[in-house]
Amino acid sequence: MKSFKDYNPRAVFLFFLGVIVPSMFVMDPVLLAISFGGAVTLHFTLNGRNGFKGFWLFPVIIAAGLILNPLFYHNGATVLFVLNNNPITAEAALYGLVMGLMISGILLWFRSFTTIMTSDKLLYIFGAASPKLALMLSMIMRYIPLFRRQISKTNQAQKAMGLYKEENTIDKLKGGMRVFSVMVTWALENGVITADSMVARGYGVGRRSQFAIFKWRKADKLFLLLAMVCTGITFLTIARKAIGFTFYPKITRVPFNALAAAGYAVYLLLVLLPVIITVREVRLWQSLQSKI
Amino acid sequence: MAILTVKNLNFTYALGTVQSLTDISFSLEEGDFCVICGATGSGKSTLLKMLKRELTPMGELSGEILMDGTPLSELDDRTAAASIGFVMQRPEQQLVTDKVWHELAFGLENLGLPQNVIHRRVAEMASYFGIEDWFDKPVDDLSGGQKQLLNLAAIMVMQPRILILDEPTSQLDPVAASDFLSTVGRLNREMGLTVLIVEHRLEEAIPLASRMMAIEKGRIISFDEPGKVCNHLATKPDLLLAMPAAVRIYNAFSTGDECPITVQEGSRWIRKNFRNDIKELPEEEYTHADAPALEMDEVWFRYGRNLPDILKGASLTVYEHEIFCILGGNGSGKTTAVSNAAGILKPYSGKIRIFGKDIKEYKGQSLYKDCLTLLPQDVQTVFLRNTVGEELADAGAVADMLPYDLSAYTDHHPYDLSGGEQQLLALAKALASRPKLLLLDEPTKGLDSYARNRIIDVLKQLRDEGMTIVIVTHDVEFASLAADRCAMFFRGEITSLDTPRAFFAENNFYTTAVNRMTRGYYDRCITVDDAVRLCSMQEGGGK
Repeated sequence: MKSFKDYNPRAVFLFFLGVIVPSMFVMDPVLLAISFGGAVTLHFTLNGRNGFKGFWLFPVIIAAGLILNPLFYHNGATVLFVLNNNPITAEAALYGLVMGLMISGILLWFRSFTTIMTSDKLLYIFGAASPKLALMLSMIMRYIPLFRRQISKTNQAQKAMGLYKEENTIDKLKGGMRVFSVMVTWALENGVITADSMVARGYGVGRRSQFAIFKWRKADKLFLLLAMVCTGITFLTIARKAIGFTFYPKITRVPFNALAAAGYAVYLLLVLLPVIITVREVRLWQSLQSKI
Repeated sequence: MAILTVKNLNFTYALGTVQSLTDISFSLEEGDFCVICGATGSGKSTLLKMLKRELTPMGELSGEILMDGTPLSELDDRTAAASIGFVMQRPEQQLVTDKVWHELAFGLENLGLPQNVIHRRVAEMASYFGIEDWFDKPVDDLSGGQKQLLNLAAIMVMQPRILILDEPTSQLDPVAASDFLSTVGRLNREMGLTVLIVEHRLEEAIPLASRMMAIEKGRIISFDEPGKVCNHLATKPDLLLAMPAAVRIYNAFSTGDECPITVQEGSRWIRKNFRNDIKELPEEEYTHADAPALEMDEVWFRYGRNLPDILKGASLTVYEHEIFCILGGNGSGKTTAVSNAAGILKPYSGKIRIFGKDIKEYKGQSLYKDCLTLLPQDVQTVFLRNTVGEELADAGAVADMLPYDLSAYTDHHPYDLSGGEQQLLALAKALASRPKLLLLDEPTKGLDSYARNRIIDVLKQLRDEGMTIVIVTHDVEFASLAADRCAMFFRGEITSLDTPRAFFAENNFYTTAVNRMTRGYYDRCITVDDAVRLCSMQEGGGK
């Protein structure tokens, strides 16, 4: 079955763009809360139980915003209490909270982005612009782990052969430097053979084409269309200034109207799209499974 | 018409003083499978590079190379790239991209083919080679054998008419090598692909071949059907050394009949020509020293808390002054076992003692000083300097103390040496720390028979001088010649342990070609020398 991860990378990329951009530039508690909620649901849909690993960071960021901001900024009309002759205001506290929501929401979205967008997908997205660039990126992607592994192999080999003679840091550093410098030679040597292998397979005989294993299926197109419509409406509400808050001196919302309601609703739909897809897939799979 | 014709080819490298190829002329028919053999430095690889235009080195070239009657130099770029495929030695270095599917598509992308054509060809080739399962994987996750198969598949998608392979299996273990060669054989049989191959594993390659070429000092000395070429090698000891066991036994006698090549033919030939009144060579009793050099006692090891056990209660004792070979399949835990013995990896349970002292009591680097050295599988990880001379000076190696001479290469870069010379240089570095216990991981990987024999001589000399040597190897022939005792590793523990003669005589499959050839006729006959001695001891010699 096709899960959210398997949707066409270009569609998924545009989806992420549509979700992340508004939450980066609009200081609106409601919008940011929606964004954060969506990020959390996607995070746990992707990772399941493992999602808790390192998740403590986000409540900490939000709490830090809530606590630290009013300690340093004393603007705002509603004084909650006075600390060391400095007023602590409700506006500054809320601003910090919203700031924390924004940062942790964006971090979470990026986390999901990197989980879903593996190197080959990024290549597919940016390769269209230049097949040469795509190839170069792919080669780098291959070389980094290769290089890293060779370094650790060399280090082990040298250790067992007595390169590191004394137990001191200077000796260790010296040894490390030598290993690194020989790795450069190794990489060049390796590169020459790889270049041979490329030329032998016709690299440089003419204009390269780009092959990708990703396709545009009906579901991809539908998803893209839906995501684009939602993004469009959200952007429209933002452009029309139907969404937005001023925090200082007093928290005021721009007058609420139908457009704002539509904006929130549509953005909510947008951030929940991956979860909706996943739930639908699971349902569909269950019903299909019962037929097998 | 011949698909490939070479006429009076001469070649000298741009900075070389000697001619590398002299007066090479031959031609291959469509669908021929040609094995090229020759000693290291005889010009085999140079010849192969002449046939692939993109790889032809700089130098002075005369003569003609024709494909389908058209000179190679007049082919257009696309045809030249696509119709001649070239597989090189190291699987790792030939891979260009990070994903299996991208690697398969790479050549076709270069030719600028449209997406749907690429998709069809890639899919077709992936299923032919049985690599659908790893289609989406990063190339890093593949084993050496899988990588080399991928290299082959990535060339086959370009639909070449001639496939050139330069020692493609030298870095693979025996099982992966067999797989690879049989795939090449299948391409030759089923698609009529013309194949030119330089190989060390002649035992397996020659039976596939329709043509064989022997090269010596840049000249073709024989080019014919394999049986006929093998017939005429008695006067060429260097070349003979690399030949299948049956050919070597045959060439020790002059029976005048057809030369056997495979184990089956060799077995028939021996039974036809020699009696078996004396079934066994007189046994030499092997006694080891009393003092143990390396003891492993119920060693358990795994790479991570949630990963499976690799060593499962491995126990073994290696005594001083012996050459001890550990054999076993891929993933049986051999390399892990020596890494534990060398203190690179730490077992979670069990004891390891080096010269009677617990390995944990060797503090700091004292284990690696005048005591123990591990030479890793990839010798390139051993070299740190730009010349052989610096490398030796750096390690503090005294050239006079080595049982061999490396002075001819003092100014060479270590990477420029042949596989055998690299191994000897690495060994020289390892010996510089004057170890009493030497651990070697696959020291014969990628070596030809000549270099292998040289390593055996060196190791035996070191043993006689008092060193204890433990070798992890896949190479059955090597172990049969070098070892004092052999052990079989299987699923993380030792399953059998004996002197090579007893060890290999008990095994049915995991044994030498000679043993398989003489099974049921002679007892405990495992090396070519054994067979030749036994045959000539028979009453009245031949039948």
